[in-house]
Amino acid sequence: MPQELTTDAFETVWATVSFSRGLFGKAPNPAHIEKILRELSLWDKKDNTIRTLSGGMKRRVMIAKALSHEPQVLFLDEPTAGVDVELRKDMWQVVRELRDSGVTIILTTHYIEEAEDMADRVGVISKGEIILIENKAELMRKFGKKQLTLHLQKKLDVLPPALAAHNLTLADGGEELVFNYDTKAEHTGVTAMLSALSNAGIRFRDLQTKQSSLEDIFVGLVSQKS
Amino acid sequence: MNLRAVQAIYFSEMARTKRTIWQSIVSPVLSTSLYFVVFGAAIGSRITEIEGINYGAFIVPGLIMLTLLTQSTMNASFGIYFPRFTGTIYEILSAPVSGVEIAIGYVGAAATKSIILGLIILATSFLFVPLHVAHPLLMLSFLVLTSVTFSLLGFIIGIWADGFEKLQIIPLLIITPLTFLGGTFYSTSVLPPLWQKITLFNPVVYLISGFRWSFFEISDVSPSISIGMTLLFLVASLAVVWWIFRTGYKLKN
Repeated sequence: MPQELTTDAFETVWATVSFSRGLFGKAPNPAHIEKILRELSLWDKKDNTIRTLSGGMKRRVMIAKALSHEPQVLFLDEPTAGVDVELRKDMWQVVRELRDSGVTIILTTHYIEEAEDMADRVGVISKGEIILIENKAELMRKFGKKQLTLHLQKKLDVLPPALAAHNLTLADGGEELVFNYDTKAEHTGVTAMLSALSNAGIRFRDLQTKQSSLEDIFVGLVSQKS
Repeated sequence: MNLRAVQAIYFSEMARTKRTIWQSIVSPVLSTSLYFVVFGAAIGSRITEIEGINYGAFIVPGLIMLTLLTQSTMNASFGIYFPRFTGTIYEILSAPVSGVEIAIGYVGAAATKSIILGLIILATSFLFVPLHVAHPLLMLSFLVLTSVTFSLLGFIIGIWADGFEKLQIIPLLIITPLTFLGGTFYSTSVLPPLWQKITLFNPVVYLISGFRWSFFEISDVSPSISIGMTLLFLVASLAVVWWIFRTGYKLKN
């Protein structure tokens, strides 16, 4: 499915989707076309000419055309550009079902959260060059970091020397202490760091942890490359 | 062969004809009927018979041929040019469809439209003039061969053209004048000897002459030469289409 919306504006939704199925040598299957159109919320537009549809609907027609011939490998180039949030969810549900049924999906997207949610393997392209292809879980493990933020009861101007060995940094004008660690490491250092804080008499009123997203990793990789 | 793809292209094109029936069918039939009224009934009634044939009847094969040639080229050229213009050609080129299958789909549909048009005009002409077809099978063969050949030519034009203006150039500036000068309204035997010779360089003369022979058994050139020339045009057009798909000319760049 191409990124550009190239459709015959004067054809109906039903005709253009059926045409795509025929082009790929598949026998007519109205039930399958109906299923796709219903899943993509296009059923009530099946007799409309494409020129009367909105941009988001046209994009869904392109997806319906791509799915019409029951492909085993599906290339989706920015499939959700211009599609509203609710319909985007429906579209991803269809794509997820296809993936679960064994269809190989190659997705290019600028919405990294979509890739994080959907992908088994992730490739990163920077300046036209593939800089990495990795199993998503492995990628998250390799490049992902976990961050613990402690909200202090009393503001600190400088980090006490006793805490210097614990990879801590002051943030938010001394109101917070940030600790980066690797959950997969043999020793995360969390216990030792908390003991050192206690010994130094530093107390905190709240804490939160945050895992790097695929987007953080992507931005890190691309900026590293450039 | 991916017959379903051929069917898909063919029926999609035929559906386009249905959507544009006023432009595709009604308009050419009406225009040709006007020729019958003007040249057949109004002016034709003052013209004596040509080689023993009523003038109104004499022009029927030429008028059918005029419609076949212009409509075949225009329909086929638009059929392939429009997907190129809108970008939908990518889908056809990325599908498991060979060049031969693409050509059969588009050319087949354009030729079918022309054959339908030719038959409607023939049926209409019976309303205006006394007409008898001496060799119906040969007449149908000419009809089909000419429609296919000029649909192939239209297909070539549709691939060569890079704008809507170029689509019109060959049908309007070459085919229509050649058809008018190729004996649509007269027998080339009435021309001065020099012009009779020059006329033989006009390929449309052979098409009209052979087609007219199938109606009245009169012709400007031998019917076998007409059949030979028609087949020659067909082979030449097939060769160009084959070259286009072999090289990807204007399709894959």
